[in-house]
Amino acid sequence: MSGYKCARCKQKVEIDINVRCPYCGHRILFKERGAGIKTVKAR
Amino acid sequence: MDIAFSRLESEVAKFVLSESIPAFANSFRRTMISDVPKLAIEDVIIYDNNSALFDEMLAHRLGLIPLKTNLSEYKKKSECSCGGEGCSLCESVYTLSAEGPCLVKSSDLIAQNPDAAPVTGEIPIVKLEKGQKVVLEAHAEINTGLEHAKWQSTLACGYKTYPVITIGDNCDACGHCADECARHVLKLAKKSVEVIDGKLIDCSMCKLCEKACVGSGWEDAAIRISSDNTKFVFVVESDGSLPVKEIMTYALTDLKDKSDSLVDVLTNISGAL
Repeated sequence: MSGYKCARCKQKVEIDINVRCPYCGHRILFKERGAGIKTVKAR
Repeated sequence: MDIAFSRLESEVAKFVLSESIPAFANSFRRTMISDVPKLAIEDVIIYDNNSALFDEMLAHRLGLIPLKTNLSEYKKKSECSCGGEGCSLCESVYTLSAEGPCLVKSSDLIAQNPDAAPVTGEIPIVKLEKGQKVVLEAHAEINTGLEHAKWQSTLACGYKTYPVITIGDNCDACGHCADECARHVLKLAKKSVEVIDGKLIDCSMCKLCEKACVGSGWEDAAIRISSDNTKFVFVVESDGSLPVKEIMTYALTDLKDKSDSLVDVLTNISGAL
């Protein structure tokens, strides 16, 4: 499962019930890109 | 049938197709647009992308970059001996690796085969801020505009019928028509207006000159605009992937092959009956 990153303090965050950064309380989180390689069609 | 070029460069051509019919002219235009194959990026393998553009958008922009194409070097994937898996005969591979801050351009696409590089290196792909990174591999293949517009080798490709300007004996050389003409096709001579040498091809048949002339009634108009349905003025522009001459030659050969196969089918049907 891919993790999230807080938009304010940039800490790595795990989401459980609340969508909120446990370090700074900010509620905007970015989903981090997975490690896998992605193939897309150029259309 | 005859073709007379008034302009022929590697990326633009203007010519008159004469002794023809509208059906052929339109077939020729449609074949040049949709049946001439060229290289374009189809599959993009993204290793890393934390730019502002999401993967699909980035891939779409890469697909639209015109690539230099040597039709004798590549063949369609469906016709390749590899069975469509992708090999050096049907596929061209590119790599892109860039880290911000910078503007990633088509010149950053490194082609495995330099003969299949992007036509120009100045096409912007994505703008990267500090810490943003794009690492990808792109696979280009041959196909036609019938499948997707990114495989269309012509940009502007169209025709108009050849204009015919008839100036009657009742022209009083008032010059209203010459003043009205937006393309500056007409000039005032001593006793009447006349078409400037070599400018007839520029006439857009807007009939503004006719309207200026008929101030005293339609029957009295001294200038009449009509078109010759056996002559067509073509303008063909290439995106740079193929020279215009090659596009035209390929399209005409393709049309001939299709006509021949149609004749064969009709012959077989009539033979069966």
